Amino acid sequence: MDAETKRHLMIVVFGMIAALIPRYFPMLFFTTRKVPTWFNEWMNYMPVALFSSLIAKDLFVDHSYHMVFTNFNMYLAAIIVVIVAYYTRSMFLSVMVGLLSVWGFALLFAAM
Amino acid sequence: MNEHTNEPQWLKALKACLPLMISYLPIGIAAGILLKTGGFAIWMIVLVSLFVFSGGAQFLIASSIMTGTPVFTITLLLFFLELRYALLGTSLSKYLKNESKPFIFRFAFSMNDENYAVNYLKFSTDKKWSANDALMVEYFSLLSWTVGNIIGGILGTKITIDLPIVHFALTAMFLYMVTMQLKRRILFVPVIISVVVAVLAVVMLKSTLGLIVATLVAATAGYLLERYLKANYSDSAILKRIKNPRAREMEQISEAEN
Repeated sequence: MDAETKRHLMIVVFGMIAALIPRYFPMLFFTTRKVPTWFNEWMNYMPVALFSSLIAKDLFVDHSYHMVFTNFNMYLAAIIVVIVAYYTRSMFLSVMVGLLSVWGFALLFAAM
Repeated sequence: MNEHTNEPQWLKALKACLPLMISYLPIGIAAGILLKTGGFAIWMIVLVSLFVFSGGAQFLIASSIMTGTPVFTITLLLFFLELRYALLGTSLSKYLKNESKPFIFRFAFSMNDENYAVNYLKFSTDKKWSANDALMVEYFSLLSWTVGNIIGGILGTKITIDLPIVHFALTAMFLYMVTMQLKRRILFVPVIISVVVAVLAVVMLKSTLGLIVATLVAATAGYLLERYLKANYSDSAILKRIKNPRAREMEQISEAEN
């Protein structure tokens, strides 16, 4: 095994461990213990807060961690996705319409 | 409705997971192309897809190997990137109380943002959704992700993919998830707080650790506001439910199923 392959394998193994620790231990801790009611009520807010933060990062932060407020094709597509999701309740339609509109708006803005 | 209840388990999980599987393919292809460009062999791309199974992590690995970042630094970056999985596991744990430790291990091993989103929605809306169904959703998403990565690895530099546009599939999925979660007016509060705090914290920390800060701040604010309003203004308009245009239809379906 050459040095580069070894290095790549190390990245995979350490990457697996780095991903596994936060995935496994909190879950193990909270599934094997009785948790108070307030904790579960608090946890009810967790998904919506987490998904919102992921959306915010995708729309308003670029890959070098700078704020961007000019992804207009994404903002328009995002509004369309929310409307489609609200009325159809279909994840498939929401994703497909989202992809088509983000692509369409990008082409449109490039042509303008 | 018998045919519906007799539906095999794998088909039920596949149906729930299909939109995610389709979204994962192009993004997986993009990840595979980048890893190949960075010098990863195909079998290494398969290993990283199966054992790390995280879009963000694999894009980070691809860019790190291109810039020759030391393995230790990459590991540390990955750990901080993946730290938010702690929140996913914690919030799903109430649905996995009766499972064995080996099951929890397998479940945690293949959990990520996207299949968590699918499973959380199923657990919170479908009483018959089981831990095994959820694990199967994880494996279907893992399959599609790995296949995408392999295709990307084979294509290598032969094609270019517009990553920001392809990545929007996941953004759209999270937008869908938030829309489905917004059952009560008060939930707009954590959404707005989370968006504002996430942008500020991610930019200031120059790390996705900002997402954890935003999630914790927003969830705590929502929870405390609800407690405060319930104790002091129990008829407040903010506590009212949001109209669901498909609610009557869905009630009819669930009545028919019963």
